[in-house]
Formats: sequence, structure tokens, C-alpha cells
Amino acid sequence: MAKIIKHQLFFPHPPAVVWEYLTNAELITLWLMKNDFLPVLGHEFQFRINPMPQFNFDGIVHCKVLAIEPCRALSYSWNWGPGNGELTESEVNWTLTEKDNGTELDLVHRGFKGVGFMPMVDAMDTGWLQNMHKILKALNATTDGTAKA
Amino acid sequence: MELQRLDVFQVIADPSRRHMLQLLSKDSLTINSLAENFDMSRPAVSKHIKVLYNAGFISIQDIGRERHCILKQDGFKQLQEWLAYYDNFWGSKLQKLEALLNERSNKQ
Repeated sequence: MAKIIKHQLFFPHPPAVVWEYLTNAELITLWLMKNDFLPVLGHEFQFRINPMPQFNFDGIVHCKVLAIEPCRALSYSWNWGPGNGELTESEVNWTLTEKDNGTELDLVHRGFKGVGFMPMVDAMDTGWLQNMHKILKALNATTDGTAKA
Repeated sequence: MELQRLDVFQVIADPSRRHMLQLLSKDSLTINSLAENFDMSRPAVSKHIKVLYNAGFISIQDIGRERHCILKQDGFKQLQEWLAYYDNFWGSKLQKLEALLNERSNKQ
């Protein structure tokens, strides 16, 4: 589990087209989530999906546009929580680069801090994730005889 | 109650609790023998055990006069599910974006 999530994609479309899909609320809804995004610096908006209580998530992502450079770069905060006011904070950065008659799109999701995420990241950093997989494997092995995992 | 509100990440964020799970992954232990591994008061050990129990990481069985702590899958599974969801989130969303843009160029 990385503290930084990165994705890179290439689209055979000009940056202006890709930009539309990142900044037009209706188009964003088509691939990401319902939202009230506006391409305005400082605009506060929300993404909404179904609550997932098992993940301590009330279904609302609280965001604010932190930086916007048309057809080139967009950053917003990405904060979520269980709905009691406690939020895990993070930041989403999009970068568009014109390349080979198309657009290279980079997504970086980072800066995780807060109640839900930090303890996990800290825990994972100590190699705990590996231990967890080992333990889970061992547990699966012992129950395989009696129940399907 | 404060104990009930800890999620799986808060549960495993505590080094003592992680150590307890590691000890229990080798063998189930009585509360007393588990407590021997820790330089803390018995009530403090009990509190950690209760947290692990509430989050589904262990079960507690009375065998004879002793209470035994046994590792349980539920907590670990929830942790794994969450990680899988989180790892997958952007990947699946971006696949949708890709499909949308492909559709668009096919129409043109």
C-alpha cells in the first residue's frame, strides 16, 4: 500500500477533449461519481456515492479546487469520513501533457492524513501488510477443510 | 462506547495489538499467557483484547477455567476488502473514462 497512488493513461484525443471530461460536472458523473464540480479556483464541491459503512465512509467526498490551469493541470482536495465530522484528507492531482497526437493523463492521489487512513499507512509501513497476508493465508489453510473461503 | 468505534485500521495501528495478533498467529493463547509477553497492566491487556475481539480479529473461548484467545478471519478479511477496494478505485474509474473517450472517437 503506497502513500501515493499514481496512474498514467494515454488518450488519442487532444488535451481539450480530455479536459472536458475532467471538468464538466455531467461528463465527470459518467465515469467517476455524481458531483457539483465547477472549474473555478477555490470552488467547494462534493462527490456522492452510496454510503459504505463497512469502510467507515458516508458516501460523500468533500473537495475544493486547489489549482486549475485549463487543459494542463487540475488539483482538488479529496476528504472523506464516516459522517461524524472526522475526515481523512488527501489531494488529487491531474496533469495533461500533449504527446504523440494525443494526451498523456497523469493522476496522483496523495497527502493522505487523518483518522481513517494514517493509522493504516503507518501500520503498513512496518511490514504489517506482509504479516497480514501470511496470517490470512494460514487462517484460510486451517479453515479450507471445513468451509469454503 | 469508545472501544466500539475503532475501525480495523485503528485496531491494527497499535503496536501492542499487532504484536498480540502475531503471537496468536502461531498458536492460540490464554489471556494470562498472552499478558506475560507484555510489560503492561492486566487491565490494559484486557482492553486490547476487547478491542481485537470487537473488531473481529479474535474469538474468546472458555476452556476449563481458562479463557483462550483464538485468531479469527473476520477482521483480516475486512482489512483486505478495504485495501482491494481502495487499490481498485481509480483503476476502475479510469477504465470507464477510457471507454467513454473511445466511444466518442468511434462516433466521429
